[in-house]
Amino acid sequence: MSLPRTVWNTVKSLVVGHAVTAREIATRPITVFYPEEKPEFPTGSRSVPVLKVNEESGYINCTSCGLCERTCPPGCIEITQAVDPATNKKKPWPHLYTLDLSHCMVCNLCVEACPFDALEMLDVPELATYQVQDLKFHKEQLLDLWKTGKAIRIAEGQPMPSK
Amino acid sequence: MNDVLAAVLEALAVLTYVALNAFVLIWLERKIAGHIQRRIGPLRVGGPGGSLQSLADGIKLFSKEDFRPGGRDGIIWWLAPLVSMTPAVMVFIAIPFGQHLIIHDMNIGLIYITSITSFGLLGVFMAGWGSNNKYSLLGAMRAGAQLFSYEIPAILSTIGVVLAAGSLSLETIVAKQSAHWFLFPQILGFIVFYVAILAETNRTPFDLAEAESELVGGYFTEYSGIRWAMFPFAEYGTLFTGCALATTLFLGGWHGPLFLPGWVWFLIKTYILVFIAMWIRWTLPRVRIDQLMDLGWKFLIPLSLINILGTGAYIALVR
Ligand code: SF4
Ligand code: SF4
Repeated sequence: MSLPRTVWNTVKSLVVGHAVTAREIATRPITVFYPEEKPEFPTGSRSVPVLKVNEESGYINCTSCGLCERTCPPGCIEITQAVDPATNKKKPWPHLYTLDLSHCMVCNLCVEACPFDALEMLDVPELATYQVQDLKFHKEQLLDLWKTGKAIRIAEGQPMPSK
Repeated sequence: MNDVLAAVLEALAVLTYVALNAFVLIWLERKIAGHIQRRIGPLRVGGPGGSLQSLADGIKLFSKEDFRPGGRDGIIWWLAPLVSMTPAVMVFIAIPFGQHLIIHDMNIGLIYITSITSFGLLGVFMAGWGSNNKYSLLGAMRAGAQLFSYEIPAILSTIGVVLAAGSLSLETIVAKQSAHWFLFPQILGFIVFYVAILAETNRTPFDLAEAESELVGGYFTEYSGIRWAMFPFAEYGTLFTGCALATTLFLGGWHGPLFLPGWVWFLIKTYILVFIAMWIRWTLPRVRIDQLMDLGWKFLIPLSLINILGTGAYIALVR
């Protein structure tokens, strides 16, 4: 390249480059001052699966069928079926339902596997704790967690009506 | 006795200013870097916009372990941060902040500054050699080549100003610019000078000496804590003095159109130049060593020679 052309290209790229960065300075940052200021999560963002409350019956939908337990690739879910102590017959709800979120990989497979619409992906990602044991959630805790989030049914892509 | 007291006070004032200036510039640099990358930069420490971030960093650096590399060249390694910081501080003595706001107006002020700043190279090279580390040494070699080649255009580009002003004293040079700044007759000189000070302060796009992606930390890889802090301290001091010198030589120093005190004008112009330097740093990628040398020797030096020739011819023929 001839010298004038080199100089021209240099000057042009300098001007264009600095215009780009100047524009970036002027636009609003995309990061936020995190704990004080919360970012807006996009629709459909998900954190961990939680048990869902049936709006009509007021109790969980889970029938303790165990499909989610078998589906979960890392094996975070542990279910013990409820048993009637008098008749010794199995009941269609879980006695214990434990989700170990410390190794949940948020794959959504359990939600897809559940035939009774009993699970839902939460949209609250702030679950960090100091103790790994604290990430083991029981049935009641999962229900409480469910209440904190505005969970989203991925299949429909729409937010649930307010709880 | 009074002389000694005055000297001590002057030294204290300069050191305080250099420290404050470095704190502000480091914070500013991080803020600008953040906003250019659409982040918000430091925000948590101190008042608005995390403005005390550098202070917190300073305290952290003071309390860090004083790590010394094995196989170092003891005294040279120990002295290097001091040697690179001292010239950055000493230069402040000859810079005219306002009409009579200069610590020592020397009749060779410009020569004093250019000769003092070249000592910074010594500190860099001592750090590189003393650390007994290949990255440090490579960084120092590059810094050596770079500072040597950019010192020449930096000095040559100021000669035009000296010819036009007829003096080497910085006070006189500024006083001569009361009617019009030297920026436009000396625009070539200004460009060369500004690029050269960017290169001399080792800032991107000329930060080959401390290129993080290839040399870890360059010549100060083996330093930690407050010893390490002296290098950026010197760097920001040199950046400020470089921009202050550019203001003095080309932008009319303390002269300004409005009725603000002279030192305010001086600081406004200097900090605008500093801001531009930071803007450039976060825009341009690092150049290769051969491109750096090409720019210095094949472009800036001829340009500054043309500038001298033009200025000389103008003075000889017109005046
Ligand atoms: S989201 Fe995936 S990993 Fe987590 S519990 Fe469900 S199936 Fe297991
Ligand atoms: S798949 Fe659904 S219904 Fe079956 S155990 Fe899991 S959560 Fe309960």
